Amino acid sequence: MNMSGPSSHREKPERLVRRLAARLSRHVLWDSLLLFVPPALALIYIVALFFQAAWLSARIAAAAAIAIAVLGGLAVYFRRRPLVPGMRTAARLIDRQSGAKDHFLTLASVDPANQPEAFLARLRRQAGGFLDRVDLKRNFPYRFKSSAYWSLGGSLLAASLIHLLLPLGLPGRDAARETERLRELAQQMAVNADLRALARELEATAAQLDDPKLSAEEKQALARQLEEKIQDQQKKQEQKDDQDLLAQAASALSGHKPQDAAGGQQEKEQQKGAGGIQSNARQDGQGQGKQGEGGSGEGKDESGAQLSQGMDQGKSSQANNKERGQDKNPAGGEKDNQSPADPNQPDSDPDKDKPGMTQGGAREGGGRQQASADPPPQGGSPAERFYKPGEGKEGLKGAGYVTVQLPEEVVADTKGESRPTKDSKNSRTRTQIPVSNVPLPSHVPNAPAEKQPLPIEYRGIIR
Amino acid sequence: MEPEQFQQTFKDLETEVGRVIVGHGDLIRRVLIAFFAGGHVLLEGVPGLGKTLLVKSLSRALGLSFKRIQFTPDLMPSDIVGTEVLTETSGRREFQFKQGPIFAHVVLADEINRATPKTQSAVLEAMEEKQVTVFGDSHILEAPFIVLATQNPIELEGTYPLPEAQLDRFFFKLLVTSPAPAELKEILKRTTGAVSAEVSRVLFEDGGRRVSEMQELVRQVMIAPPIEDYVVRLVHATQPDAGNGGPLKSSVRQYIRFGSSPRGAQAIILGAKGNALVENRVHVSYEDVERTIFPALRHRLILNFQAEAENITTDQVIAEIVKQVPRN
Repeated sequence: MNMSGPSSHREKPERLVRRLAARLSRHVLWDSLLLFVPPALALIYIVALFFQAAWLSARIAAAAAIAIAVLGGLAVYFRRRPLVPGMRTAARLIDRQSGAKDHFLTLASVDPANQPEAFLARLRRQAGGFLDRVDLKRNFPYRFKSSAYWSLGGSLLAASLIHLLLPLGLPGRDAARETERLRELAQQMAVNADLRALARELEATAAQLDDPKLSAEEKQALARQLEEKIQDQQKKQEQKDDQDLLAQAASALSGHKPQDAAGGQQEKEQQKGAGGIQSNARQDGQGQGKQGEGGSGEGKDESGAQLSQGMDQGKSSQANNKERGQDKNPAGGEKDNQSPADPNQPDSDPDKDKPGMTQGGAREGGGRQQASADPPPQGGSPAERFYKPGEGKEGLKGAGYVTVQLPEEVVADTKGESRPTKDSKNSRTRTQIPVSNVPLPSHVPNAPAEKQPLPIEYRGIIR
Repeated sequence: MEPEQFQQTFKDLETEVGRVIVGHGDLIRRVLIAFFAGGHVLLEGVPGLGKTLLVKSLSRALGLSFKRIQFTPDLMPSDIVGTEVLTETSGRREFQFKQGPIFAHVVLADEINRATPKTQSAVLEAMEEKQVTVFGDSHILEAPFIVLATQNPIELEGTYPLPEAQLDRFFFKLLVTSPAPAELKEILKRTTGAVSAEVSRVLFEDGGRRVSEMQELVRQVMIAPPIEDYVVRLVHATQPDAGNGGPLKSSVRQYIRFGSSPRGAQAIILGAKGNALVENRVHVSYEDVERTIFPALRHRLILNFQAEAENITTDQVIAEIVKQVPRN
């Protein structure tokens, strides 16, 4: 029996088994990598998306990415370790592939020290006869397993879904923006001494919004609530500013063109097709009415209340004027000497071009408008007993006066004294009613200094 | 001795025995494997199938001493192992041990199940210990020693079935089947003609030494640890109390009354080694194990009454065990 041979020849079967074991080990490594790396990458991508959406801070996102990478590595390691084929498995595969009768298995598993050298040499020689039947690359190629496809597909699907669905549910991003916006607002508000307290509150709240322990819903609610507070405060501040501005404008334009200051609002009311009412009602109500249109619900309510109050006042004034007009009540138009529409004072008519005054005189003459414009009796003061209850020397005690501008009059104004303007939208000629809610000048306490469009529901009453 | 010499001697023996025994090639091979593995063989078959002829031919080819014991109910143990006989030498009387027929290399225990258990047990020590004890004196049996016992599966009236302990001493239990028509025709041609075939000796003067060398060579055959584990799993699976955690399903386990002893595993491995050498290999393969397990475990698995009622044989159970126990 030929027991000995070249060392390289004797080592060949064992080397082939080792090569196959290493190859299979790489296959298992690839299997594990393809199984766990796609989900890990998808998770890291999702973390990046969350970080981009500001749901995660940079530190947490980095920690999460590192944790995912470490977990993925551990998963690969622990999955690969038990599946790594040993020498026996590789030897079995070679035996099966080459048709050998457990030659390679015996060579790979027996302890050479306890075996007869002659038998080992014989076994190696016999196993060497099967070597040419085995081609590792051809017989043991790497094949992608279905788990790899599932892992890759599932990871892509999950990442795509998150990528596509994340913008739909981005309260976190809004919250972050709101947080930034809150901080900006807080910084802006901190400049103002009146708003410093609120600015501090906003700063504290912004810090709370950065707290990851808070849920997204809580953050949203908190941010919105605070944003409303800021808006309310801003509106109040704007209102103050507007009032200040209006006060400045009123003082600046007092005795000149108080209607111009309210031209915008008058235009709006004219576009509604309403008539006009000039009232000497309290300017507070008018100012609040404007504030109500600015958007605040509370302001709107106040505005509505003030408007109704103004209307009531106008109605009562109208009624009083009507009475006076019909009864030739000398006390009815006490202040009409200051009204620009007073036809009885043509010489002292600084506001001759005002449409309200023109309407009053032109269309109805001594009608209702005329009645309201009638000056009080110029004769001697009658005795107090001759006054009706509630009336005094100067007419109705505490009464206000309004000059009503009916829609027909508005149309007429387009041909007359009213100042036509061009609507930028449809280029249609419309009337700009020179009315204003600017507070009356202090030297004309009860003068009907403005004209307001008559709400449609009051037209029948006034007529 | 080299494996090639072993293989050549083995083939010569097969050829010589085959000149007398028509067919039964696998039977002859397994008997020779058991012989070179140092085991004893129980041949079971109906009368007239050539069991005795097989043993005679084998012993003749081996060139070893051969004794035949016809077991009968009145056979005494001393008839097998020998006895002390009073002899007179030089005017002096003394007891002298008279060897029985057990003192031979090849012993044919024909119809061993017809002897009483007391006589059967006399063979136990000889089979296992390769020695006999008579009147307190132990007498070593010369190696090689092999007992080839035969028993008739029919005509069980007046027989004493071998107890499990004695059955376990047999390395293999081989079933002698009826010859195929072609084999029967050849048998007729050889036995009814004018010329009868003679068995030539394969081993000559130093036949016993060569047999011993061949037996040592069998034990040097390599077996991989995974294959050893496989044998262990196979034998362990035969245990009815292996539990549900074992590889064997309850549908098979329910027929087993007693499982194999460790001797069964030894027989499997040694038989597989002998089979490997015969096939010119110096290592055991899974196929060797699966080929050897049937004769090695056939008489070691004791089936219960349910298996008998359902005509379940031990070979069927073993086949199911091989099917259910994985190789790795």
